[in-house]
Amino acid sequence: MESPEKNDAVAFESAEKIILRWDSTVSEEAREKMIFNGDRHEIDRYLEAVDEIQRSMESTTLSVSDDHDKANTAIQIAMARLEDEFRNILIAHTNAIEAESLTDPSLSEEDCRDTPRAGDDDSFSKELEKQESSTSSSYRSTNSIREVDLMPSEAIYDLRCIAERMISAGYLRECIQVYGSVRKSAVDSSFRKLGIEKLSIGDIQRLDWETLEAKIRRWIRAAKVCVRTLFASEKKLCEQIFEGLGTATDDACFMETIKGPAIQLFNFAEAISISRRSPEKLFKILDLHDALSDLLTDIEIVFESKSSESIRVQAVEILSRLGEAARGILSEFENAVLREPSRVPVPGGTIHPLTRYVMNYISLISDYKQTMVELIVSKPSTGSRYSSDPNTPDMDFSELEGQTPLALHLIWIIVILQFNLDGKSKHYKDTSLAHLFMMNNVHYIVEKIKGSPELREMIGDDYLRKLTGKFRQAAVNYQRATWVRVLHCLRDEGLHVSGSFSSGVSKSALRERFKAFNALFEEVHRTQSVWLIPDTQLKEELQISISEKLIPAYRSFLGRFRSHIESGRHPENYIKYSVEDLENAVLDFFEGYAVSQHLRRRSQ
Amino acid sequence: MPMTDNQGSFLNRISIRRNQVSNMENNHEQDIEDLELFQKHVADRFSDLLPNDPPSTTDSPAIDQSPLFSISWFRKLLDVFLCCEAEFKALVLIGRDPVQFSKPPLDRLVPDILERSIKSLDICNAVTHGLELVHHWQKLAQIAVTAFEQKPMGDGQVRRAKKALNTLLTSMMLDDKENNYHAKAAERTWSFGRRSGGGGGGAGNNNKDRTNGTFRSMSWSVAKSWSASKQIQAMASNLVAPRGGEPTGLAVPIYAMGTIFVFVMWALVAAIPCQERTGLLTHLPLPRNLNWGQALIALQDKIAEEWKKKEKKGTTGLLDEMQKMEKVAQNLVDFAENFQFPAEEEKLEEVAEQVAEMAEICRKMEEGLTPLQQQIREVFHRIVRSRAEVLDVLDQIGKMSPPVPY
Repeated sequence: MESPEKNDAVAFESAEKIILRWDSTVSEEAREKMIFNGDRHEIDRYLEAVDEIQRSMESTTLSVSDDHDKANTAIQIAMARLEDEFRNILIAHTNAIEAESLTDPSLSEEDCRDTPRAGDDDSFSKELEKQESSTSSSYRSTNSIREVDLMPSEAIYDLRCIAERMISAGYLRECIQVYGSVRKSAVDSSFRKLGIEKLSIGDIQRLDWETLEAKIRRWIRAAKVCVRTLFASEKKLCEQIFEGLGTATDDACFMETIKGPAIQLFNFAEAISISRRSPEKLFKILDLHDALSDLLTDIEIVFESKSSESIRVQAVEILSRLGEAARGILSEFENAVLREPSRVPVPGGTIHPLTRYVMNYISLISDYKQTMVELIVSKPSTGSRYSSDPNTPDMDFSELEGQTPLALHLIWIIVILQFNLDGKSKHYKDTSLAHLFMMNNVHYIVEKIKGSPELREMIGDDYLRKLTGKFRQAAVNYQRATWVRVLHCLRDEGLHVSGSFSSGVSKSALRERFKAFNALFEEVHRTQSVWLIPDTQLKEELQISISEKLIPAYRSFLGRFRSHIESGRHPENYIKYSVEDLENAVLDFFEGYAVSQHLRRRSQ
Repeated sequence: MPMTDNQGSFLNRISIRRNQVSNMENNHEQDIEDLELFQKHVADRFSDLLPNDPPSTTDSPAIDQSPLFSISWFRKLLDVFLCCEAEFKALVLIGRDPVQFSKPPLDRLVPDILERSIKSLDICNAVTHGLELVHHWQKLAQIAVTAFEQKPMGDGQVRRAKKALNTLLTSMMLDDKENNYHAKAAERTWSFGRRSGGGGGGAGNNNKDRTNGTFRSMSWSVAKSWSASKQIQAMASNLVAPRGGEPTGLAVPIYAMGTIFVFVMWALVAAIPCQERTGLLTHLPLPRNLNWGQALIALQDKIAEEWKKKEKKGTTGLLDEMQKMEKVAQNLVDFAENFQFPAEEEKLEEVAEQVAEMAEICRKMEEGLTPLQQQIREVFHRIVRSRAEVLDVLDQIGKMSPPVPY
C-alpha cells in the first residue's frame, strides 16, 4: 500500500534529481546546454521539478532538518539555474530596437497597437489580451504612444514562467537585478542608434551654437522615439512578463531598466536650458520647449508610478527653465538692440543691417506666437530699470491697454530699434541723408509688419499708423532739408527792382539765381543719385513728390524770366537745363549709383 | 517644487542689512563687519562637522551623532554648503552695484566663478549617478541579509548569500578602471564560463554584455573622456588667495566660497563612486592663516587619510556605510566559504551579529540614499540659480552681452 508520504518522498526525490542534474557548478554537461533552448518537454519537466520542490518546502512533510536542508539546497540550485536561464533568454533578445521603429510615432496616423499573437497557451494569450485592454484606456488618450514588440511572445512566455518560480521562491530581487541589467544594455544600444550622446554640461557650454542646433534637432527626434516607443515598449514588456507577480514587480523592473537612460536623455535638455543666453538661441530653445511640452503628457503616462516621480519632476523643471531661458533671451535681445553700438553710417542711407535683423527676428517670433504668448507674461520694463536714462526711449504703455505682453514687447522692440536708428542717423554729415535713412528704415519696418499677418495683428493698426506717419514725416523732413534751398533760387522776391527801365528785373540777380540753381541742382543730383531707396514704390513716390514741387517752379521761373537771359550774352551758361532735362534727372535720384557728371543738356 | 532654498537656520544667523545707497564710505565698515561674520560662520559650520568638537555657537542645533563620512554626515555637509552659499550671495550679490564686478580684481574672478559652477553641476550629476550604483549594491547586500536571516540556516541560503556577496564585492572592485584583474574573479560566480546554444547576437559581444550586465548594472552616463579627478584638479588650480590690501573686500568671500565649492565637490567625489577618480588630489590649496581655512584643513586631512587607505586597499570610496558594507561582506563571504550544514552554535552567533550589522547598513542606505540624492539635486538647482544671477550681473554691466550677430 502506498502512503501519501511515500508518494511525496518519491516525487521529491525525482524532482531533486532533475534539479541536481542541471547544477552547472558540478556538471560539465549542465554547463554546455541551456534548458530553455531545448525541447518543450525538457523545459516543462524542469519547471515541474522546481514546483515540486517548492511544494515540499511549503508543506509539513519535510519536518526532518536534513530533508529541509536538502530542499533548501535544491531550491537554491534551481534558482541559480533559472537565473542563468532567465539571463540567457534575455540576452538572446537584446537587439537594439529595429530601425523601422525609430520613426516618430506621432507622425503615423493609424492606431498602431499591436495585436496579441496567439501563444501556445490559450490562457496566456487571453492574459495578454486582458493586460492590453486594461491599460489601453490610458494609452488611447494619446495616439502618439506606440509600443513595439521587443521580443517574441514565446520568449516572453518562458520568461514569465521562470519569473513566477523565482518570485514565489523569494528570489524577487535577483530576478529584478538580472532583468534590469540586461534590458538596460539593450536600451543603451538603442540610444546609440538614435544618436543620443553622453555629453557633460561643460562639454555643451563649450560647443558652438551651430553644432548645438544640430544636436538639439537630433535630440528632439530621438526624445520622441524614446518616450513614445522605446520606453513605452519596455514598460509593456515588463507588464507582459511581471504583471501580477509580486508587488509592483513590473514597475521595479521598468525603473531598473530605464531610470539611468531616461536621466541621461533629459540631462541634455537640462544642459541646454541653462546655457548662456544669446539672441540667436531663441528659436531652437522654443523648438526644444515645444517638443518637451508636447511630450509631457506621454511622459506622465509612461512614468506614472511613484518611483519614477523624480523623472517627471525633472521634465517639468526643464520645461520651466526653457521658458525662463526664452524670457531671458528676449530680454537680452532687447538690450542688444538698444545698445547696438555700430557708428559707421550705412552708405547711401539705405536699410541698416540691424533693421533687417531685428525685423526678421520679430517676424520669426510672431511665427512662434502660440508658445511665446504663453511664455511672455510681463510687460517690458521701461522706466524702472532705466530711470531717467537719456540713453533709452520712453514708452507709455497706457494707450496700449488690451495688448498681450508679447505684443507690448514687440512694439517696444520697434520703439528701441527706431531709437537706436535715430542715434545712428546723427552720424551722417548731411542732414538730408539722415532723414532719408530714417525714412528708408521706418518704411522697411512698416512693410515687414504688413507682410506678416501675425505680426500685424499683434502690433496693431494704431501703432502701424504711427509708424507710417513717421516715415512720411521723415520724407517731408528730407525734402525740406534738400529742396528748400534749391527752390529758394526760383523765388520771385529779390528779382524785381522798382523803378527800373527793363520791366523791373535785375539781370545780374537773375543770372546769379540761375547759376545758383544750376550749381545746387547739380550738387544734389551728383550726391543724391548715389543715395539709395531700395523700395521701388517709395523711391518713385519720393521722386514724384520732388518733381511736383520742382518742375512747376522751374517751368514758371523759366517762363517768366528766360527772355531776360536770352536777350543777354551766353544764355546757355545760365539756362542749362530744360524742363525735360530736370524731369529726367530726377529719375536718377536714389538709384544708388553715380551718374555721369554732366546732366543731359537741352539740345542746342 | 523641490527647488526651494534651504534657509531655515541661515536666516537665524544673519540679518540682511543692505544699504541700497551706493555710498562706499558709509558701507565700508558695514562691509568689513559682514565679511568677518561670514567667515566666522563658515568656520563654525565646518568645525561642527568635525567629530568630537563641541558646538561653537549657542544657537546651533544639537549634535547629531553622524559618524564622519556617513550618509547623514554628507547630508549635513550639503546643508552647510547651502547655508554658506546663501549667505555668500546676500553678502556679495544682493544690493551691490554691478559695476564693481567690471573692475579689478573682481572682473577676473567672475569667469572662474562661472567655470566652477559648471564643473560642480557635472560633478553633482556624476555623484547622483554613482549613488544609483550604491543603491544597486544595497540591493545585493539585502539579498544576502534575507538569505542569512532564514532559520535554520541551510546550505541553500548560504550559497545564495555567497553568490550575491561575491557579485557585490566584485562590482565594488570593478569600480576603478585600473583594477582589471578582478574581471577574472568575476568568473568564479558564474555557473558556467561560456554561453552555448543559438540566439541572436555574436558570442563575443554577449559575453561582454553579460559581464557588464551582472557586475555593473549601469555604464557611466558621461563620455569616456570625462574625469572627476581632472575636474577637481581644474577647479582647485583656480583657487588663488587674494593678495592682502585689495581695494574691495569682496575678493575674500569669493575666494572663500570658491574654496568651499571645491572642498565639497572633492569630498563627494572621494566618497562616492564616479567616473575616473585615479589621481584624485589629496590636498587642496587651503589657507592656513584664515579661521575657516583651519576647519577645512582638519577635514581635508581626514579625507586625504581615508583616500590613501582606499587606494592601497582597493576599496570603493569613503562613504562610511559603503566601507562598512565591504568589510562585513568580506567577513560573510569568508563564513559562507567555510560553511557546512549544520553549523556550530557560536559560529551562528558571530554571523548573526555580522548579518545584523549588514541589515543596519542596508537600513541606513535605504533611509538615506534617496534623500541624499534629492539634496544633491537641490544643490544642483541652487548652483544653477546662482550662476544665472551672476550672468545677470554681467549683463547689467554690458560686458559679456553678445553683440547682435548679423
